[in-house]
Amino acid sequence: MAYGLAGLSPAQAQQLPAGPAVKPWDAVLVASFNIQVFGESKMAKQQVVEVLARVVRKFDIVAIQEVRSKSDEVIPSFVRAVNADGSQYHYVIGPREGRTVSKEQYTFIYDTRRIEVDASSLGVVPNPGGALHRPPMHARFRTRIQPAEMAFTFWLVDIHTDPDEVPQELQALVGAFQQMQALRPDEDDVILLGDLNAGPPEFSALKRIPGIGWAVSGVTTNTRRSKTYDNLIFTQPQTSEYTGQWGVLDLQNTFGLPLEKALEVSDHNPVWAAFYPAEHRGQAAGFMAAQPTTVK
Amino acid sequence: MTDKTTNDIETLVRQLGAADAGQRAEAAERLCRAGTAAISAAVPLVRACGDADDPTREWAAAALEELGPPAAEAIGPLVELAQSDHSLVAYWAITLLGRSGQAAASAVDVLARCLSAADLSVAQRAAWALGKLGPAAAASRAALGVAAQAADPRLARLAAEALDAVGP
Repeated sequence: MAYGLAGLSPAQAQQLPAGPAVKPWDAVLVASFNIQVFGESKMAKQQVVEVLARVVRKFDIVAIQEVRSKSDEVIPSFVRAVNADGSQYHYVIGPREGRTVSKEQYTFIYDTRRIEVDASSLGVVPNPGGALHRPPMHARFRTRIQPAEMAFTFWLVDIHTDPDEVPQELQALVGAFQQMQALRPDEDDVILLGDLNAGPPEFSALKRIPGIGWAVSGVTTNTRRSKTYDNLIFTQPQTSEYTGQWGVLDLQNTFGLPLEKALEVSDHNPVWAAFYPAEHRGQAAGFMAAQPTTVK
Repeated sequence: MTDKTTNDIETLVRQLGAADAGQRAEAAERLCRAGTAAISAAVPLVRACGDADDPTREWAAAALEELGPPAAEAIGPLVELAQSDHSLVAYWAITLLGRSGQAAASAVDVLARCLSAADLSVAQRAAWALGKLGPAAAASRAALGVAAQAADPRLARLAAEALDAVGP
């Protein structure tokens, strides 16, 4: 079932923090963004890069899908653009994946002032039988706005499904999610996020995971505003750090772009959810109130 | 679709054949941004997957991911392209044939031969596509039976699933 029901209006979305200095102290903002064919040709468009950088600066971590380049310089160059305003983002990136010669990479870009990554935690979820076209990349993060012993720690598992094999891939993601839950006995928070090429009505396979839920529901997530393909998926009571706040950052409304210009940025909008920065170990689970929220 | 959109797509398809790689990549990118409106460009986009220029290939493949099933008149050219020596061209031609379902019944023999392609992505996609054709792919049962015994677990699984979809 969906966690919370509170998508932000465009006006509310514009109130998202513009840079690290004004990010909330009581929440970390985790986003997923499919940046369609993110390679040299997109990086050559200064206005597109500027919009992408502004998107990243609004969040503490962005899980990105569809880095497509034979060059290793695309993401380092992009992170330099993100940090051009004094921000201090860094990144981790996965291997090139895909069955054909056309490969994609996943990357996590995160604000080092508020988030740290366990460098030993990076990896790709095992893919027995080759069910997943692009097996998810995982990494474990910890918030830095609480003392380390109290800080919220969590796995992020980045996924971009094959649109031609969605039911089979969602089935395989059940096993992938449960493998991540079992990977470390001291980590109960697994957040699967990305472009699923499917919306909540098609999530029946995922419901086999006890306590499963998702942040984004009832709104569209693609730039043409016709599909709900992007989401953040996790379980309760384990991830009781979820605040109930989530949203879709509509590129057209947020940046005042006509559709054609927004599509130059991507065919997907970023989606996000907010989490408390401290661990809630042992606390009672509870679904969030179904009321609109605004990120301060 | 408006006449202007149709004209734009036709212009972009011509641009896919430009001598300059930058022009070709721009055309593929704009066709990608056109979404399903670029359906009439399905065959040129599949050909563009064999372009020597990386960005052109990547944008063409991205455009094809979102395109949906092709028009009936594209089936014949796609059957030809499914036999391409370029694995990405063959892969996408086969994918579009699979999306066509039983409308691609004329592709069964070619798809059955693709089950033994040296490139596993092509062989696996052929098995997937034959499953999408369902009973229209009955003539491929023997080839699917062989593929279902393949050492590659994904090819074997897809072929077994296709056999189920084809039926007795």
